[in-house]
Amino acid sequence: MTRPAAVTGGVLLGLGLAVFLWKAVGLGMPVLPTDPLGLWQVEVEINARGSGGRGSVRAALPSSDLSQTIFAERSVSDGLVFSIRSERGQRTGIWSGALKRTHQLLYAFRVQLSQSTVPLPRGAGRTVPPKLRAEYGGATAEFPTTATEIVERLNWLGLSPPEQAAARLAAVYSFVTDEVATEPNAGDDVLLTLAQREGSALGKARLLVTMLRAAGFPARLVSGLQLREGLAPQPKVWVEAWLDGAWVPMSPTDAFFATRRPDFLLLRQGGDALIEATGVEAELHRFHALRERLRPEELATLMIPTNPLLAELSLYRLPVPTQGALRVLLVLPLGVLVTALYRNVIGIQTFGTFLPVLLALALRGTTLMRGLAMIAFVLALGVVGRLALERLRLLLVPRLSILLCVVVLTVTGLALTGRGLVERDLYAGVLFPMVILTGLIERFSISLAEEGLREALMKSLNSILIAVTVYPLFTSELLQHVMFTYPELVISVMGALVWIGGYTGYRISDLRRFRTFAGASGGAR
Amino acid sequence: MIWRDLRTAGVLGINARNSSYTLKWNNRSLYPRVDDKLLTKELCVAAGIPIPRLLAVARIHFELRELRGILETLDSFVLKPAHGAMGNGIVVIQARETGPGERGDRWVRSGGRTLGVEDLLYHAAGIISGLYAIAGQPDVAMVEERLELHHALRKVSFEGVPDCRVIVFRGIPVMSMIRLPTHRSGGRANLHQGAIGAGVDLASGRTTHAVLKSGSVRRHPDTDEKVVGFLIPQFDEVLETAVRATDTTELGYVGADIVLDERYGPVVLELNARPGLAIQAANRAGLQPRLDAVMEAWRPGLDVTERVALGRAITLAHPPRGLQS
Repeated sequence: MTRPAAVTGGVLLGLGLAVFLWKAVGLGMPVLPTDPLGLWQVEVEINARGSGGRGSVRAALPSSDLSQTIFAERSVSDGLVFSIRSERGQRTGIWSGALKRTHQLLYAFRVQLSQSTVPLPRGAGRTVPPKLRAEYGGATAEFPTTATEIVERLNWLGLSPPEQAAARLAAVYSFVTDEVATEPNAGDDVLLTLAQREGSALGKARLLVTMLRAAGFPARLVSGLQLREGLAPQPKVWVEAWLDGAWVPMSPTDAFFATRRPDFLLLRQGGDALIEATGVEAELHRFHALRERLRPEELATLMIPTNPLLAELSLYRLPVPTQGALRVLLVLPLGVLVTALYRNVIGIQTFGTFLPVLLALALRGTTLMRGLAMIAFVLALGVVGRLALERLRLLLVPRLSILLCVVVLTVTGLALTGRGLVERDLYAGVLFPMVILTGLIERFSISLAEEGLREALMKSLNSILIAVTVYPLFTSELLQHVMFTYPELVISVMGALVWIGGYTGYRISDLRRFRTFAGASGGAR
Repeated sequence: MIWRDLRTAGVLGINARNSSYTLKWNNRSLYPRVDDKLLTKELCVAAGIPIPRLLAVARIHFELRELRGILETLDSFVLKPAHGAMGNGIVVIQARETGPGERGDRWVRSGGRTLGVEDLLYHAAGIISGLYAIAGQPDVAMVEERLELHHALRKVSFEGVPDCRVIVFRGIPVMSMIRLPTHRSGGRANLHQGAIGAGVDLASGRTTHAVLKSGSVRRHPDTDEKVVGFLIPQFDEVLETAVRATDTTELGYVGADIVLDERYGPVVLELNARPGLAIQAANRAGLQPRLDAVMEAWRPGLDVTERVALGRAITLAHPPRGLQS
């Protein structure tokens, strides 16, 4: 290695490590994830378009209660006026003003979800206050408590007397949960749901509210999100019934009773939409959620560091989707480092420089075994396709394109059978791997034509080998967390790459190749 | 262990070759002079260096029609990509198939398979599409004169024509080997495809040691002829041709492939800016000490003969090691 290369590499390596150490030791920032349970970062992103008229967008905002603690709230109003209104325990965020263009609104917060069970009374419990009875006990068009079908069904159920309120409550819940099927495409009308014994999640929730009210319990719909790791949050509707001074949560579709599921976030009382807009031409909203790897007090040191420059540079303040993408992106240099080691120090031949890393990235979108099966399939297709198309004497580009068409058809077939690849969103699950596999099939076909089956398979195996060794890096929560918290480590990786680039010693493959020289230094022997 | 053995023998590794020789001495902008065989041919012809005659060129698919007409008139030739690497995509046609008629419609390829004109045009189309090009770019299919096997090498080659690889560093030849085609290599002179590599002593022109794949051999597996200890004819001229051809490229570190033709003597086959390292195994000698010696002994203004002599002197000073066989 030349002196300048050695020095440059050392300086870069040292620089990254120095910043890392300064932040970790000097400023006491956490290095390893502490992985608290149920701590999430949630974001509501709203695009509202208008052409000059006044309008407003209202979003249901969460409040802290027994099962959830809300903190670190922030909002972006993009030219509108943002205010929070609180009405009977329900908070609503309102953006209002003249909408002249597309306004990008944002409301973000962190939430600690916890599991807490509402205790049920042994006896009848406290009497229902008349005000509550009036508001949540009556018949409405949405909840036809007085309909004959409802009354008859309750009689048929043969409920326990009001003195055993908890058993009464459970009996109604069990009926709607177990005797009425959940069918996403079914209607949400209460009486229809009851008659057909089949309803949507909303239909079943409404039926439950109606029957509970008819049975004497004040009841209401509530809505919120189910937070899922690696996936977009799922809007949910469930039910709360008032008993003995507390609202008891229950869901006839997601199977919980008295204890809210620990991944459910409550946003709104009532079954109305989470986001509503008036005077707006078009409104589009999306929810994002990311599970936090650090406890709130540790997060604080990263989000609001004492050093103003670091505060400005903190990745933890970025929008949630950007954070998710960066978590993956920042691990990429580690994968490249491993590839460089394989190629320049060990001397393994692969297809292209970065194809193995991209393969590993594609594998990330699915499971390892499923991904490998897919790669094996594509390679087999390459061999068969070549044999089959050989006779037609087609030119290179159309021939490869035909193979690609077959891959597309296969993916389509897999989607039809409903298995595997299409569970996640189309981009991560299918499109991205398609791009990579196209690269693989092209390289493989050319290698097959030029160097023969043996060589082509050898290079494929090597590429897959590297992809499989790099894959754990890309799926490691730990590495993602460390690289995201300390992105300066990328500079260290660059330093290490300078060293590898300046390495002029033998590759392991050289040693193998020139093994006939072994013993040459023995001289006299 | 083996690491130290290689160090002591002065074996050049891939990383060292790339960083200290090809990257340092071969200007990237000069690469087309060796990567584009048409350009190499042009340069050699201009400098009066013997190189196989160009018979036809097809640059686009449309020109294949014209190529068909030319091929019809030829009996033996070589069809190859202008930007090929490692001997890929080269088809050597030995002769017309001699059938009951006077002149057959098909040709015999080295190795015995027969080909029709459609087969050849399909292959040429593959070449133009870039199937065999170094970077997969659109390429040019070229047809050139087939070289004839020198009678002195007839017994040590099988189904093909051997060539002499000479490593030329800063205009001075430092190491050489002759590559002998075998049945296993399909008549091709590429070591990784199974040809024999026999190290040639620069001073005497005799082969000193030979390898097949990764093991040493003494006899040709197909002809059973000894491949160690035979004399390469006209070896002085081989070295001079290699040096003169390298001069036209202005590259500092080149592998020149020279074929001994029965009619013309030494002829340039192609030049390579990233010559392989297997030549060291064939010679049982490392390149490093010889390259270092060139750095020390190099002076400007030496003519071709003086440089060949200097290369021989350097080789004598750094002979192969452990040649007890």
